[in-house]
Amino acid sequence: MDILVGSLVAGILLGLVLALVALGLTIIFGVMDIVNFAHGEFLMIGMYTGLLTAQATGMDPLFTLPVAAVIGFLLGVLCYNGFVKFLLRGPMIAQLLGTFGLMLALRNLALLFFGSEDRSLQHGLLVGQSFDIGMGIIVSATKLAVAVLAVVSFIGVWLLMNRTKIGKALTATALNRQGARYMGIPTERMNALAWGIGGGTVTVAGALIVNFWSVNPYVGLTFTMIAFTVVALGGFGSVPGAFFAGLVVGLIMEIPGFWDFFAITFNLAWMSNVPMTSFKYTWIYVSYFVIMLISPRGLFGWKQ
Amino acid sequence: MKNPKKSWRRLSVAILIAALVLPDALFAADEIKIGVLFPLTGGAASAGRELRAGAELAADIANSVMPDLNMTMAKNAGIKSLGGAKITLIFKDHEGNPTLGADLAKKLILDDKVDGLMGAYHSSVTKAVSAVAEQYGIPLINDSSTSPELTRQGYKWFWRSTPHDDYFTKDLFELLKGMTEGKVKGVSAVPKKDIANLASACEKTEWGSAVSELIDNFSKAYGFEVKKSILYANKATDLSSEVRSLMAVKPDAMLFASYGSDAILMLKTLKDQKAAPKILWGQNAGFEVPEFVNSLGDTTIGVLTRTVFIPKVGQVKPIAAKVNAMYKVKTGNDLSGASARSFTGLQAWVHVLEKAGSLKPADIQKAANSIEIPGDELVVPWQGIKFATTGDDIGQNTLGSGLIGQYQKGADGKIDLEIIYPLNLATANMIYPFPKF
Repeated sequence: MDILVGSLVAGILLGLVLALVALGLTIIFGVMDIVNFAHGEFLMIGMYTGLLTAQATGMDPLFTLPVAAVIGFLLGVLCYNGFVKFLLRGPMIAQLLGTFGLMLALRNLALLFFGSEDRSLQHGLLVGQSFDIGMGIIVSATKLAVAVLAVVSFIGVWLLMNRTKIGKALTATALNRQGARYMGIPTERMNALAWGIGGGTVTVAGALIVNFWSVNPYVGLTFTMIAFTVVALGGFGSVPGAFFAGLVVGLIMEIPGFWDFFAITFNLAWMSNVPMTSFKYTWIYVSYFVIMLISPRGLFGWKQ
Repeated sequence: MKNPKKSWRRLSVAILIAALVLPDALFAADEIKIGVLFPLTGGAASAGRELRAGAELAADIANSVMPDLNMTMAKNAGIKSLGGAKITLIFKDHEGNPTLGADLAKKLILDDKVDGLMGAYHSSVTKAVSAVAEQYGIPLINDSSTSPELTRQGYKWFWRSTPHDDYFTKDLFELLKGMTEGKVKGVSAVPKKDIANLASACEKTEWGSAVSELIDNFSKAYGFEVKKSILYANKATDLSSEVRSLMAVKPDAMLFASYGSDAILMLKTLKDQKAAPKILWGQNAGFEVPEFVNSLGDTTIGVLTRTVFIPKVGQVKPIAAKVNAMYKVKTGNDLSGASARSFTGLQAWVHVLEKAGSLKPADIQKAANSIEIPGDELVVPWQGIKFATTGDDIGQNTLGSGLIGQYQKGADGKIDLEIIYPLNLATANMIYPFPKF
């Protein structure tokens, strides 16, 4: 029983983090119809920002979030104005290849500046602490804090998009570009803003994640793929969609845990011998495939 | 007059070719080139640094005269039978990638024209490199890869100085058996049922999967039960579901085969989830790199690891203490299993070259197959080096042996490895059961 609850808790906590990672991607797509392959690399930069700021200033990693947010925002705007803006003039394939190239460029710049070795946080308020919530289930304090902050960020972004003037302008641009322009909304600026917010949220996610995952220049790709799955499942452009889809994907990653639960409860040796943990990521890609086949618009999809 | 431009061009090309070829021809006799492949970047980079330093130290000793070091290779500057030719090491970084390793080996053979190869730590890379060496007929001495499969390929250009995982995994089970018989220093006889359940998590390349299989086989032979065996990717950034899977079967002993970054991550995750095995053992590699203790500190206390060399060996082998001191001056760290073996691997090369008296591959091959280096020449506590020429494991050093060490806090507050096995060489009481996280 404790295995089941343990896996559920782990899946939900991880899912919230993944949801936050995917949030930026869905916003960028929603507003501009552009698929950002470099999304994972922004995350990786966020991780390095969090790590290095904490190490350089000696402050607790959790307090580096504002720094990460600012850097992410600026990086997003910079990428838009310096690069993506020009891609929009070209055909769809140019945009895909363009962001793919951006991904490679960022990854290798990171490799140049930071080296390929794994780095991780050794000290922090929450690093290494955990709670026992009964039944022998241990919850890592960092994961819990990250999940809470992810929820807070989601609520914040949702409020921004739906209750503020700027947010509504962004949503309007996403729904109907031409119409928005007629209404006097500066769509160019909205694009830059979308990239800024998208970049900012994902770097914050990175600065949170680095509390329990180590970073090297190559971690971006895994997260990009997971983010794509989350966005595909939740619907491209939908903020609540990203939230729920994130939870679902987090639980999918815990399939080995559920499998173990069944194997042990029903004492089935053959189940124990199946190397489920080796296929941890396989299930995510399988679900991506299935979603594309069954419902390309996703759960909440409002963009085709 | 014929076209002057053409003549000039021909002349300059001729000069260019001469300039490229002559130096090789002129200096060939004075330099022996050995290509060395190690993981200098990537997840095992900390081991790579140690390996490199160990090989460099051995080359320094071989190339100079050190009268107060009681080793044959310290007596002459360079290789005496080759007119004092010095050894030059050409290091290449394979990053843990077998395809890259094979490519680099080809480059070393074809472009750098090395006389021999050494490496490569990762058994998966050594496998690929050994195939290249076999193809081109260039001798390869493997100093640090332990998957048994490597000497079972029937290759004629492959020799391995380090003992392999068959020997080492057997050591672990002998230790467990010793515990049940009360023969382990500081531990009264443990009833077998207390430690009968095992769980293993091994990284999934050539090395780890071989270890996983060996653990399964030996546990059957010794009467233990492996309740769960997991293979995981050593580049993984998160091992929490793997650890949860291991803990679900409530094992008495957790056994690991991990490289540098994943060993550290594994321990961190075990600590996070408050795993409580009675015994925690690692098959060397990541469990022995300096980073392991440096980043995990007190968390490592009680962790057992297979090893090939611990500084404490210097207490019984003065030559080891001397070389360890030299190594410490060079790098600031003590010799470890990795650096001691790369040192010994290069030492084996020196003896082979001395015996061969020539750089022709066939002569080197003959020398390697007939060489016998006595144990007191070596820093590692082996009986010696002698490569098998018959039987199952052709090219394997039959005189090697392993140790099992346990991280313990010394009186000076520093965490160090104490020898727990072989039982008669134990330097401290074994900490049992594993202290709670």
